[in-house]
Amino acid sequence: MVETVDHDVVIVGSGLAGLRAAVEILSKSQGSVKSLAVISKLALMRSHSVSAEGGTAAVLYPEEGDSLELHAWDTVKGSDFLADQDTVWRFVNLCPEEIRQMERWGTPWSRKEDGRIAQRPFGGHTFNRATYAQDKVGFFEMRALYDKLQEHDNWSRYDEAFVTSLVIENGVFRGCTAIQLKTGSLIFFRAKAGIIATGGAGQLWKFTATSVSTTGDGIGLAYRAGLPIEDMEFMQFHPTGLVPSGVLITEGARGEGGYLVNSKGERFMQRYAPSKMELAPRDVVSRSMMKEINEGRGFRDEESGLSYLHLDLRHLGKEKIDSKLPFIKELSMKFIGVDPAEEPIRIKPTAHYTMGGVRVDINGRVLDADARVVRGLWAAGETSCVSIHGANRLGANSTAECLVYGRIVGQDVVSYLSSPEGRAAGYGGPSAVGEEDRIFKDLFKNETSDADVYSVKARLREVMDSSVYVFRDEAGLTGAIREIRELRRTFQGVKVTDGGRAFNYNLQDVLEVGIMLELAEVVALGALNRKESRGGHARNDYPNRDDANWLKHTLAVRAPDGPSFSYAPVKITMWKPVERKY
Amino acid sequence: MEKVNVDVVRTGGKHACYELKYRKGMTVLDALIEIREKQDSTLAFRHSCRMGICGSCGMTINGLPGLACHTQVSELKTDTVRLEPMHNMAVVRDLVVDILPFFDLHRSVKPYLMRKNIAERDSSDREYRMLQEEVGKFLQFDYCIICGLCYAACPTAALDPAYTGPQAITQAFRYMADPRDEGWKERIELLDTSHGVWRCHAAGACSFVCPKDVDPAKAIQMARVEVLKRRVLGKKGKEGSRLITVTAPAAPKEGTKPPPFDFPQGGRGGE
Amino acid sequence: MTEAKRYKAGLISSLNPLGFNVERWSYAIHRATGVILVGYLMAHIFETLQLSGGAGAWANTMNALHSLGPLEMVGLWIVAGSALYHGANGIRLILNEVFGKLMGKPILPVYPYSPTSLGRDQRIAVWTVTLVVLALWIWAGLYLLAGLGVV
Repeated sequence: MVETVDHDVVIVGSGLAGLRAAVEILSKSQGSVKSLAVISKLALMRSHSVSAEGGTAAVLYPEEGDSLELHAWDTVKGSDFLADQDTVWRFVNLCPEEIRQMERWGTPWSRKEDGRIAQRPFGGHTFNRATYAQDKVGFFEMRALYDKLQEHDNWSRYDEAFVTSLVIENGVFRGCTAIQLKTGSLIFFRAKAGIIATGGAGQLWKFTATSVSTTGDGIGLAYRAGLPIEDMEFMQFHPTGLVPSGVLITEGARGEGGYLVNSKGERFMQRYAPSKMELAPRDVVSRSMMKEINEGRGFRDEESGLSYLHLDLRHLGKEKIDSKLPFIKELSMKFIGVDPAEEPIRIKPTAHYTMGGVRVDINGRVLDADARVVRGLWAAGETSCVSIHGANRLGANSTAECLVYGRIVGQDVVSYLSSPEGRAAGYGGPSAVGEEDRIFKDLFKNETSDADVYSVKARLREVMDSSVYVFRDEAGLTGAIREIRELRRTFQGVKVTDGGRAFNYNLQDVLEVGIMLELAEVVALGALNRKESRGGHARNDYPNRDDANWLKHTLAVRAPDGPSFSYAPVKITMWKPVERKY
Repeated sequence: MEKVNVDVVRTGGKHACYELKYRKGMTVLDALIEIREKQDSTLAFRHSCRMGICGSCGMTINGLPGLACHTQVSELKTDTVRLEPMHNMAVVRDLVVDILPFFDLHRSVKPYLMRKNIAERDSSDREYRMLQEEVGKFLQFDYCIICGLCYAACPTAALDPAYTGPQAITQAFRYMADPRDEGWKERIELLDTSHGVWRCHAAGACSFVCPKDVDPAKAIQMARVEVLKRRVLGKKGKEGSRLITVTAPAAPKEGTKPPPFDFPQGGRGGE
Repeated sequence: MTEAKRYKAGLISSLNPLGFNVERWSYAIHRATGVILVGYLMAHIFETLQLSGGAGAWANTMNALHSLGPLEMVGLWIVAGSALYHGANGIRLILNEVFGKLMGKPILPVYPYSPTSLGRDQRIAVWTVTLVVLALWIWAGLYLLAGLGVV
């Protein structure tokens, strides 16, 4: 039994980008948008955006030496020159407005002595432009946006509705299907416009900072709908993830002056990035850390078998930690019993941010395999690959991207729906019976199988952790691809063991793991094909950057026997690539 | 501790017992995930961030409301973990409760920044200047992750389904105490009702269980004092807009500069 | 939310302070003593009403009461304790709820968390109330026992 619901705009995902787009549409639509649906597979406010800790970058004080060109340069250099520079330029121009707008909507930014918004140093930025709110910037921004959303009436919330497919017909977005967890039934959302903002795919790795919900759903759905996904082999491994759970210790700890120390007690970043030290971009620091561990200068946690290094904050003093870094003090004390003022924190690089994602143009409009715009479909935030971050993202740029692109996409949706074409678009699309069968009949049909979705998931994550981690090589990647394909075959026989209708998390796990397996194959194959090291993709067998052959974006499109790859040029409008030294 | 016994109250009140091997640093959530993945895939519970910031995993642990990811098995000082759904909310399945009514209570107090000049709030290019001490007047109450534990612990919420609840009153006060807010009149109206702030009897259980130290008991009493001041003493709230700073971009200082633009051959647009 | 479906909502749950903070215990005792005092008030009004029936009705009432024996003094002792507790705790609650005292000011939370509303000032007040009431109650008990001729 499929219920059909019509809305003008459907926003899949309720993180920073999704909520910002919703607020933009509701405040600025002036009647052209009659109803908006925010769909999330968690309750609203539970999205992973609340875990963001460090800061949001923007040029707020050009009179003190900062400039838009400098922010753009830092971003482009940090991306290892894979970022599309026209997009980066548009992005840095809009960041300052977003910070001030968020302030006016209630975000409690930390302040300078004179009452203006404060900023702090962050990795890869040559000026201290990370605007911060204690060390929970994502949380406070989400609270401000969620609270702002309560002011409006013409929107509906669909909490805990897991979107299972995108309905695109003849190059036009028609809607999406979702399972409502509370009832266990399928809903067909018919819409004139849709925004995908479901976040990244960090859960592909076992040691990750991301929430359990970050399984790459939006990227996987776009991939299954035949849309190209871009640059998936670039995964950012954040240097300081707490051992053994992987949760994030913010870069702000290093921004406030923390040291990274190996088992010999030395600040090893001296060897790898002598001028920036701990505040080099994250891929540089992660690689340095893994080199130290691989060369035997790390510690080992007996219980979990993980190696780790130390983040030393003792010299900052109790007062600074309590006022500027209270959340990491809570995490460190709660989860590993370490008081940062007394002992160093145990950390290791953790899977954190997906630079890749759904291919979109500079306005956030989704492009199909022929580089044509899919009418009525946008993507924003970590899900999209615009690309601002290229091969590596600078800290504090993602929350900024979510806000800026949430706004750009929101504006674009409003202008589309006010245009004659948008007004003429009706609700239509094929029926959802096929989808209903796929989920409720096919997945439940494997009655006698032994394959267990959780062992498949655990094995996948282990394979990604061991072979598709900070350093990769041909043998490891080939082995990983073989294993992933084997797991995909096993997965065909997996059965849903929970027969309940309401809150069937087992069914949701099966649907998620299906998507994760497909994305893992794209990541591993893309990494194998790319014979160079750039940004977050580092290969032991091709340790240098190869601009002559590889200054291009990877595009993957779904084909019957796996992803088919093509390449797109990078937009270079301001700086030609140079050697990246810190 | 060698083994952990987990006793879960499932749908319909039935108890289900599971036994696990204890690992150092194990949280209640770790135990639940292990149960679902290895022993019983039909056990339903919410979770997401694993770090105590999303608020999904609220439940009753050994008699007290708590977040599963935030509770170490070792701090319970026993090898039996008794889990029940959060109190005062309707059970949907196993440990999953219906939290939408709780979100509706939050929405009912109009928890957003109100200004008289909407255009200034939504479309200008300025910021409101505030000293850090002024941010400190409401910052503690903004830490709320909307997890529902305070509502589960509140004795008034147990008796009165229409009670606004500690979380919502705290959020109303968070905006009343925000120096930038100008909506004190509406909020007084919303709190001064028969199911509003007067129903609190300062039992303090909300602050006792709050995982982020939002201290709702304090916020509610402070809100009450404000309501009394307005209604009984007739005092007026802050009128007039806050000091606004224009931050016009000035000429950049000499100092760090990016390298000069280095266009590829043929001018802008490299293909 | 309909009352019947919310998990463990209701009178027993709201009065059950097991595992909670001392202020929640004092809430439960405050409620219980309040009920006792209301019950006593109504009983007292009924008893005094008997005066309107004349000397005979009054004597009957007094005989009925005295025939309870020591139970009468025990009952009065419980009422005395209730009045003492409810009054003293009531003053603490007025300080909390009307004047906003003993709660502390908004702070920046630092782990390990310790809410100021359940902090030093509040605890001093709670224990002062408890000890003073306990002391006076014991004295009242001795006074009543003296009336029985035991002490």
